[in-house]
Amino acid sequence: MSTQNIIPEVAHKPKPNPWVIVGRGVLQSFLVLLGIVVLYPLLWMALSGFKSNTEIFNSPFALPQNWSFSSYVDAWNNGVSQFVVSSLIVTAMSIVATVLISAWTAFGLTRTKIPGKPLLVGFVLGGMMLSPTVALVPLVRMMQSFGIYDTHWALILLYTAFRIPFTTFLIRAYMLDLPYDLDEAARMDGATEGQIFRKIILPLCQPIIVSCVILHVLFAWNEYLFAMIFTSSADTQTLPVGLTSLMSKHGTDFGQVFAAMTISALPIVIIFFLTQRYFIRGLTDGMGK
Amino acid sequence: MAEIKLRNIRKNYGTVEVLHGVDLDIESGEFVVFVGPSGCGKSTLLRTIAGLEEISSGEFHLDGKLMNYVKPANRGISMVFQSYALYPHMSVFDNMAFGLKIAGVSKDQIQKRIEKAAASLHLTPFLQRHPKALSGGQRQRVAIGRAIVRNPKVFLFDEPLSNLDAALRVATRIEIAKLKQSMPDTTMIYVTHDQVEAMTLADRIVVLKDGKIEQVGTPIELYREPASLFVAQFIGSPAMNLIPARLTKAGNETEVCTKDGNTIRIPVSSGGELIDSSVMLGVRPEDVWLAEAGSGFLKGCISLIEQLGEVQLVYLEGTFFDQPLIAKLPGTTELEVGMEIELSVKPELLHVFDQNEARLKRADFTQHSEPAVYA
Repeated sequence: MSTQNIIPEVAHKPKPNPWVIVGRGVLQSFLVLLGIVVLYPLLWMALSGFKSNTEIFNSPFALPQNWSFSSYVDAWNNGVSQFVVSSLIVTAMSIVATVLISAWTAFGLTRTKIPGKPLLVGFVLGGMMLSPTVALVPLVRMMQSFGIYDTHWALILLYTAFRIPFTTFLIRAYMLDLPYDLDEAARMDGATEGQIFRKIILPLCQPIIVSCVILHVLFAWNEYLFAMIFTSSADTQTLPVGLTSLMSKHGTDFGQVFAAMTISALPIVIIFFLTQRYFIRGLTDGMGK
Repeated sequence: MAEIKLRNIRKNYGTVEVLHGVDLDIESGEFVVFVGPSGCGKSTLLRTIAGLEEISSGEFHLDGKLMNYVKPANRGISMVFQSYALYPHMSVFDNMAFGLKIAGVSKDQIQKRIEKAAASLHLTPFLQRHPKALSGGQRQRVAIGRAIVRNPKVFLFDEPLSNLDAALRVATRIEIAKLKQSMPDTTMIYVTHDQVEAMTLADRIVVLKDGKIEQVGTPIELYREPASLFVAQFIGSPAMNLIPARLTKAGNETEVCTKDGNTIRIPVSSGGELIDSSVMLGVRPEDVWLAEAGSGFLKGCISLIEQLGEVQLVYLEGTFFDQPLIAKLPGTTELEVGMEIELSVKPELLHVFDQNEARLKRADFTQHSEPAVYA
């Protein structure tokens, strides 16, 4: 009997296709490059905040010679702190209002029996087509007559109103996929519509709510047009408008300008990196099976 | 006490009528099973009783009180859904406690009731788990537990076993039977399209077809005395064999003639107007047996044998029946595909269905000493 017959055949791992390895390498290199293209300007901006004007112009791509926080401190004391507070107030309050109103609207549009529902869905979602630029003049008159012009409330109201259609669209798509048996089971348990919304449907919509919150933060934190037109005093201005006025005031102190820009960008970058997993899941979950 | 009366219940979706006037009385403590093919309205009828669907017209009384406009939670009815409908973000305990918390039951009471229900359903170790960490059978038990803790007068089950595998389905079916025994005063209504579940669980079965009740009766009544061709075919597995025939003599003893000229006298009553009309002869697969050559009523060639051990299902192709005739014969009988065999049948075990698919009633006399006569 030959040795070949006694020793069992060892199962060899199939040799990988070289083109697959090459393709994977190209893809990974592309993603690394993309990451650099996105992150490098942010890093450069943050590093420039530690430099003096001379360093910025003489060696723009070098690391700072002295890691001085003076530009950050100056920027913070020269009004950025107030802009951050304004941005936080406007963003936080408009998030709460937008998400709650949109979720309740989406609940009504998906899980209740309303006559003429398709028309109502079209009407609500049609709000996405409304151009903020076109509505500026009447909105200014409206805010003035409400007595909330140049207050945080003007921005909170506008951000909420203009984001409700899109947020409703996202939450509605997600809610359509939730089984209706849950509502019926809760109804058999004695829950009212409000309880079904608060205790069953809203907690189950957590992934899409997180996505909506992130999208709203991105919008409200960076929004410029409304913030420029509806606020004029330093107490009410949010970061984008405040930074513009800071640049016009301290335009020659580039270290301070970069520091202010870094402070304004930092919260949003941190939030996005911490919640990106929920963000992607929320958006894709709503796309159906 | 939970006595249910349904009077002329109709349900419309726009112009489409799904339930066409259902009348049904269910006694307190009864286990009633709704069966029927897909789309017959059995789930819709259950949901109207639950209050999840509005009744378009007709009346639903529970213990003498009109329930048409009472909210689902106030009817004293609990329901187990086909999909279990457990709240995925809540633990088993919270799932079971949800309805009680809304009803304002005290924490101590909630704890006691849930512990009792969990113990009876073997769910105690899983109370802090979420539904996704449970098997299908455990989820089903949680759904039942959630219904039990509310101490309902009426229990509704909407195809509760359809998501379980075959082995688990049998085990859970036994659990449900035991549950019924432990709650003798609770009325239970169970929807299924599985006739084995219907036959084994029900005190009475309601067979539905196209939104109407076809027949109501005990499992054995439906099996032995089906009111129509539909019930005869729906109840029993394999289904009742049907043989086209012609009614040749009416009276208390009806004579029918099959396509190949065989006649048989059957103790069922028929009117004279039926003479010469087409009828269907029905015979259950287990009501036939092998006959000596030349003495059988049914003759044919074996086309397939399904050997089940204790019995074998023998498929017979013949000249006077349109579909293969199935005979349930002892598993020990040696048979082969292609064999020509003859089968005997007792006339009193034959059913006759008229052109309206209604079954002719048994004759008044019960004694039938004359043997079957084959011409």
